[in-house]
Amino acid sequence: MSSATQPQATLVDLLDRVLDRGLVLEADIVICLAGVPLIGINLRAALAGMETMVQYGMMQDWDQAIRHRGGWSVKPTGVAECSSTVPAGVRHD
Amino acid sequence: MATPSVSTTLHYNDVPQADALAADYVYCVVEDSRSASLGPVGIEGREVYVVAHRGLGALVHASPPLAYQATDREIAGAWVLAHHQVVDSAWRRWGTVLPLTFNTIVLPGATGADQSVTAWLDREHEHLQGKLQALAGKAEYGVQVSCDSSHLVEQALAANPDIGKLQEQANSPSRGLAYMYRQQLETVLKRAVEGQALRESAQLYGKLRACADDTRLEKTKAAGDGQTMLLNLSCLVSPERLAGLEMAVQGLRGMAGLSVRMVGPFPPYSFC
Repeated sequence: MSSATQPQATLVDLLDRVLDRGLVLEADIVICLAGVPLIGINLRAALAGMETMVQYGMMQDWDQAIRHRGGWSVKPTGVAECSSTVPAGVRHD
Repeated sequence: MATPSVSTTLHYNDVPQADALAADYVYCVVEDSRSASLGPVGIEGREVYVVAHRGLGALVHASPPLAYQATDREIAGAWVLAHHQVVDSAWRRWGTVLPLTFNTIVLPGATGADQSVTAWLDREHEHLQGKLQALAGKAEYGVQVSCDSSHLVEQALAANPDIGKLQEQANSPSRGLAYMYRQQLETVLKRAVEGQALRESAQLYGKLRACADDTRLEKTKAAGDGQTMLLNLSCLVSPERLAGLEMAVQGLRGMAGLSVRMVGPFPPYSFC
């Protein structure tokens, strides 16, 4: 890596890409798209303010640390428990 | 994506709840013809595997047919990070990858979610393959250029000599006149600074665009204290052009008042 590129990407750099970009699968078989604002906004709201500069390696450590935190692996997915906040209908055009 | 969309409204009541892991969460598409497991590397340690069809492979995990939603930032952050890590390691392993946006979950049809994914790979085969070929070997870099806001004002004043006159008038001994001129000055100066920022960002864009295979202009963000972001650019770069882009970035860093942030490489999220 040359001196022009800073090795550290922030979580915000990743959020911009993972939540807002990437291929959008458009078909009737998909229940959720990032194009449905609610989902992106929901996660963004949860992640607002997380701008700590972290290196890829450090982020992996962080991820591991979170995964190993108590209760993480025994929870089914974290999805079911949030299902009550899911809107009655998700529209995608 | 320039494919015809099928417009439907799905209600969660319609989603089959019987099988807790009936759907497929899709991470990305790679070129591969072998279905295989990649191990428990997915979101929340789910097993990621390749659904292969006609030389294309979709990396998926078996998922509940519901969107990932959370209000806990650590959980949400870990999901996004896990999604990225699957895409990133696929990108390093296969060389080229088409990342899907977060929360792309394919429902099981009559024959299961893997079959739905296969049908999608079949239907979009040429489109996906074309995209993969266009992105082969290339990486995404983010380049953000900011400048001192004071520098922008100075440049705007230099480019608009009339403003200096207005500044003098704003110091008029008559309080009423001074107030009026100050109001006028504020409006004119704001417009001049915006115009200056536009001119500078267009120049920067031209310089950087010439060094990349493709670019996407992203919305500028709030910069730090006393700073204005002029340009937020995603650059798609092939290996042989990277040195050129880095040189251009270094050149910008040498310019008075500018600060440049370059991050990457990323899988080509912004160029799907």
